[in-house]
Amino acid sequence: MSDSEATAAEGPEVAPEVEDASPAETPDTSSPTTPDNSTDVAPTRKTRRRPDPKPAAEVEEMPKVEEQPSKVTSSESTVSQGGWGYWGSWGKSILSTATATVATVGQGLTQVIEKAETSLGIPSPTELSTQVEEEQKQQGSSPAGDGSSETDKAAGDASSPVGSAMGMLSSLTSVVQSTGKTVITGGLDALEFIGKKTMDVIAEGDPGFKKTKGLMNRNATLSQVLREAKEREELQTAEKESSDSEKKVVAHYGMLFDEFQGLSHLEALEILSRESESKVKSVLTTLSGDELVQLREELEHIKESFSLVEFDDEEVDEKKDEDGTEFEKELTKALEGLSVSTTADKLSKACKSATNQITDMTQPEREEEESEEVVKKTLSVEEVHAAAIRSLAELTARSIELFHKLAEMILFSNGSTEPSVLSQLTVVLCKEISLLSKKFTSCLTTTGSHEKGDVLNPLITGVFLEASNSASYIQDAFQLLMPILEISHIQRRAESTEQ
Amino acid sequence: MEAIWLYQFRLIVIGDSTVGKSCLIRRFTEGRFAQVSDPTVGVDFFSRLVEIEPGKRIKLQIWDTAGQERFRSITRAYYRNSVGGLLLFDITNRRSFQNVHDWLEEARSHVQPHSIVFLLVGHKCDLEAQRQVTRQEAEKLAGAYGMRYIETSARDAINVEHAFTELTRDIFALVRSGDITIQEGWEGVKSGFVPNVVHSSEEVTKSDRRCLC
Repeated sequence: MSDSEATAAEGPEVAPEVEDASPAETPDTSSPTTPDNSTDVAPTRKTRRRPDPKPAAEVEEMPKVEEQPSKVTSSESTVSQGGWGYWGSWGKSILSTATATVATVGQGLTQVIEKAETSLGIPSPTELSTQVEEEQKQQGSSPAGDGSSETDKAAGDASSPVGSAMGMLSSLTSVVQSTGKTVITGGLDALEFIGKKTMDVIAEGDPGFKKTKGLMNRNATLSQVLREAKEREELQTAEKESSDSEKKVVAHYGMLFDEFQGLSHLEALEILSRESESKVKSVLTTLSGDELVQLREELEHIKESFSLVEFDDEEVDEKKDEDGTEFEKELTKALEGLSVSTTADKLSKACKSATNQITDMTQPEREEEESEEVVKKTLSVEEVHAAAIRSLAELTARSIELFHKLAEMILFSNGSTEPSVLSQLTVVLCKEISLLSKKFTSCLTTTGSHEKGDVLNPLITGVFLEASNSASYIQDAFQLLMPILEISHIQRRAESTEQ
Repeated sequence: MEAIWLYQFRLIVIGDSTVGKSCLIRRFTEGRFAQVSDPTVGVDFFSRLVEIEPGKRIKLQIWDTAGQERFRSITRAYYRNSVGGLLLFDITNRRSFQNVHDWLEEARSHVQPHSIVFLLVGHKCDLEAQRQVTRQEAEKLAGAYGMRYIETSARDAINVEHAFTELTRDIFALVRSGDITIQEGWEGVKSGFVPNVVHSSEEVTKSDRRCLC
């Protein structure tokens, strides 16, 4: 037994991975003028996609369908590259994340299907049917205890995007079944590939995809969504460890987020939020007449503050904040009067260490001056990428922790907390995430100046994607505070009338 | 170290304020003793892997709750998703021992419809000279509630590993026998990943909801 195995003390997750199998991207093929590839994916969809070398790794395992993978990868590179312009302005406005995401789901799904079809050459219903069978077989044989099996869940929920997609595919199956088995046995390898590919395309945007699923399905909570993402990463890591000898630095956002206890704080925050929500509801049912109208109005006022958060990403560029002191100042300002200093300190520290890392990475000259022996080994792009993902995960986890602690303080102290303070805090945090991702990517660009685009671009896109996800999680956590402020308001109100 | 584990158990640590809950957990997860620490606000989180049999690792996710009365309404909400817990009292503080019953009642009523496996822990056993609760009466109380009793010291690192490992083994046995099952929407026990090994049906049975209580 290794007693020192405290999770908190673990170093960055390091797992071997087939990195060179990433999509072959070249700037030329991805220019927006490429007609059939770039048109079928709208910008909204891009924010939900996680460019990932793994699907391509699977491609490698299936040499029989070599022709198709090449098509797929080219279309994929288009998406990630075409998305670049869009990355620049993610999170520009945070008006009602939920509605925006739901809108994206419908769109995304059509595109997913379209994309799966266009990128592979439209599969015949026969092919699709085998795919469905394949999927069902997988469902059936998945470990019974594995409650997080995504196909399971998705297919079980008719209102979820995948559920309806399966429905559509199943109806195709029934058409095909009458034509007999002989057709199906034709090219099983290719079909298996299509099945995998489609699921990959659907799930690729993960955790974005899971997130949207979470919002569609009321039973799934944000922490579940993240937990599923983390579990999948762990599974992948486990598989890779047992099958791969090649060591490369790979950063898994979800696992790191959990390591910093982000998941736990999120879950605890959700528990408090849900409990407060039901308390508010039950209070409302006990009231009637003018009293009810008045309280409704007051609560509406609180709600408004939660839907009016705006965050302009463009502004972030203006300010440099080299060492993170600016962030600390803003954070302290936003948290004035809220007794959560310990947690805020942790957050500031996380931010400082991230900015310090960036400074170290971007100033190799200085190190050379010191002494030739001390000269650090120049970092690889993968290492810079890993540092970026780790910093984003830590900062996000600490932000969620801060929101959780705020929720607890609000609930047990009777002081009034202005929603505007919390929204200001959300803006400050999102800004910092954005700023960090920009610094890290410019660092990546510098470090990888000699690297080819197909190595560098997915890494840069990955950083922006996780930054975008980080900002979404922070905003969602902010939304979880609403019922807490509501119940706190009701309690204060009751106390003042008693006196 | 690889992050591969068979199960994740969520444990909750409860007991009066200042009995040393956070210190015990920190000794277990961080391997050190913190002389001074602020009172816990609401709940804090720690985790560690425990190897209960060669090659069989369990990830423990530990919820460290605030002992202070003023946080009680908040910490109550956190009980539900725990499969096990450490109920601490301070052997030099009789009052904290008398409150064990209340803590247990509180926990049991809030984990419904699930059950929770508790271990009674008499903490600060390094302070023998100031002892106010004898081992015999603590063992008797534990026996009455069907719990094990262990005396620990975070300062001198006595029985800390033992306490957590014993509890983990007990829960593991119950999971194996099917008395505790993994359930959708309950975070108490989660299945982990073992590469290239399919869980045997006896280990992961998705049988109907069963309850110990």
